[in-house]
Amino acid sequence: MAPAPLSARTYVLRNLRRVAPVLAIQALVTCLLVAAITPTNAFRATTEAYTASMQHMTIVTPRERPLLDSTLRAVLDQNPHQAAREPAKMFWIRTPMIVGEAWAPLLLLAPAAQADLLARTGCRLVEGRMPEPGSAGVVVHEAVLRARGWVLGSAFGEEVDRLDSTPGRFEVVGVLAGPARLALGDLQRASQQDSVYARQLPFEVVYARPGEEEDSDAWLAQARIPAGAGSPLGLPAGGLAFRVVDDDLVRARIEKAFVNLPLVLGFITAAVAVVVALVTALLDLLQFQARLDELALLLAVGHPRRRLMQKLAAEGLLVSLLGWALGLVLGLAVLAAYRALVLEPRGILMQLLDARPLLASLSVPLLATVVGALALRARIRRMDPVAVLQRRGA
Amino acid sequence: MSAGGLPVLEAHGLSLTYADGPRRVEAVRDASLVVARGESVGIVGPSGSGKSSLLFLLGGLRRPDAGEVRLLGRPLAPEPEANAALRRRHVGFLFQEPFLVPYLSVRENALAHVEGGQAADRLEALAAAVGMRDLLDERPWRLSGGQRQRAGLLRALAGDPDLVLADEPTAFLDQPAGEAVMDLLEAQRGRAALVVVTHDRGMLARASRVLALADGRLRPA
Repeated sequence: MAPAPLSARTYVLRNLRRVAPVLAIQALVTCLLVAAITPTNAFRATTEAYTASMQHMTIVTPRERPLLDSTLRAVLDQNPHQAAREPAKMFWIRTPMIVGEAWAPLLLLAPAAQADLLARTGCRLVEGRMPEPGSAGVVVHEAVLRARGWVLGSAFGEEVDRLDSTPGRFEVVGVLAGPARLALGDLQRASQQDSVYARQLPFEVVYARPGEEEDSDAWLAQARIPAGAGSPLGLPAGGLAFRVVDDDLVRARIEKAFVNLPLVLGFITAAVAVVVALVTALLDLLQFQARLDELALLLAVGHPRRRLMQKLAAEGLLVSLLGWALGLVLGLAVLAAYRALVLEPRGILMQLLDARPLLASLSVPLLATVVGALALRARIRRMDPVAVLQRRGA
Repeated sequence: MSAGGLPVLEAHGLSLTYADGPRRVEAVRDASLVVARGESVGIVGPSGSGKSSLLFLLGGLRRPDAGEVRLLGRPLAPEPEANAALRRRHVGFLFQEPFLVPYLSVRENALAHVEGGQAADRLEALAAAVGMRDLLDERPWRLSGGQRQRAGLLRALAGDPDLVLADEPTAFLDQPAGEAVMDLLEAQRGRAALVVVTHDRGMLARASRVLALADGRLRPA
C-alpha cells in the first residue's frame, strides 16, 4: 500500500538529500555513544569471569585469632551445610585491560583438591599437565595466558619481573579451559620454609552442599569461638570466628567499583543529547525556511496548523530514528571488529548487545525530536500563509 | 447582485487596511459581493489595487478589519485558522504562482487535501481536459510554467469545490494555454461559483459579471 502523500515516510523517502544532515548527525552520534558506552561492560564481564570460581567455594580466614588453628577447624567442621574443606593459599595474577587491570586468582592446593576444584568449576586441563607436588609449576586458564602473552613453559612472578605483583616464581605447565578463569598451583611448594610463599598463612576453602551455599555462608559468618577455648594472644572467647569471603561479597565489591559509572555515562549522554538536539533544531529551522511555500500552501488550502505540526514532528522523529538505527548498525559493526581484533586476543570479555547504550543513545533522537518540534511549533504558530503566498506571487 | 440560484458566497462591508512601512494602505473598502452557484464573477484592476487581498478575504484566509463573509450561508470566523476545514471542503484556490509541493506528483498534489474516492476519477477527467493526463505522475520540477499552472488548477478543482477563487490564473501562460485554463474554469460554473481576479479583461469575456477594484472600492466595470 502506497504511503499517504503528506506522510512523514513520503517526505523522508523523497527528500533524502534534505534530511541527510540530520540523519548523518544522529547516526554518527549514536555510533559514538554505542561504541563508547558498550566497552564499559567489559570491566564488569571480565572481572566476573575472573571471580567466577567464587560461585563454587567460600574462603574462610580467622577473624580474631592469628591462625586458623585446630580450634577453628573444629568449629568449621560443625557447619551442617559443609560438603568439604581444603587448606589453601592464594595469590593474584595481574591481567591487563584496555584501561586498568583485572586480577585472576592463583590458588595453591593439594593435588587432590586441585582436581576437585576443577570438577566443581567445570574447568578442565586442555594442554600440558597438572603441577607436580613440591614444584613451582602452575596450570593457568587459557584466557589468562592470552591476556599475559604466556605459553606453556613461560615463567612469571616477582622473581622473574620486578614489576610483576605475583610473588616468587612460577612456571606454566598446563592450560585450563572452562567458565572460571583461574590458575592452580601446589600447596606443598608454597609451604616449604625456603619459599617466599611460606610467609602467607593458609586459609580454608569451604565447599557447601549443593543448594546450601547461602546457608553455609550465613552459618560461617555467625560462627563464634567456643567458650573455654584458649587464645595465644589472650583474646576473649565468644567472638566471631571467621572472616568470610563469599560470592555475594565479591559481587558486592564489583558493584561498588562500578557504582559511579551510570552517573558518568548519564552525564555524557545528556550533554551529547542536548548539543545534538540544539543542532537538529537549528537544521530543522533551516529546512522550515526552505519549505515556506509548501507549508503556506498547505495552510492556505485548509490543512490545520495542528496537523502541519504533527507532520513536521513525525518527519523529525522518523529521520532521527532512522539515523539512530543506522548509527546502531554502524556502532555494532565497529564494536564487533573491536572485540575480534583487540579485546578477544587480550582475554577481555564484552557483551556486544548491551541495553545501556541502546537506551542512552535513544534519548538523543527523542530529545532532538522534542526540541525540533517545539522550535517548529513556534514558527508555524507565527506563520502567515498569505504573506508568503503574496510575496512569492507578486 | 446575484444572477440567480443559491448564493455560495456573500460578502458584506469588507474592509482591509495594512501597513506598508510608515504608510497605511486601505486595500479594500466596504466591499460587498454575492456570488451564486453557476455564476462567474471577474474582478479587474491594476497591479497593487488589492485584488489578491480581496480574494484572500473572500476565502477566509485573511481577517477583515470590518465586514463579514458567508460561505454557503455560514459565516466565516474572523480567525483564518478556524475556517480551515470549511476551506478544505468547499473552496478551491488557484494562486497566481501555482505553489506545488515539490516532492509530490501532480496527482498527489491535487488529491492530498481532498477527501473521498470520487476525486481520483474527477481528476483524470479534468487532467484530460487540460492536456495533463500524461503528466499526472510527474513531479513539479519536470513541468513547464504553463503545466505547473494547470497542475495548480487541477488541485483547485479536484475536490469539486462549491467556490473557486482564482488569482491571475493566466498570468504566466501564453494565449492558448491561458484560454484552456479559462475554458476549464468556466466549465465549473455549472457546479460552483467562480471568482476570478485578473488584470487581463480579455480573459473575462464569458464572465457573468465583471467588477473593477479601484482605490479599494468594488464597482461594476
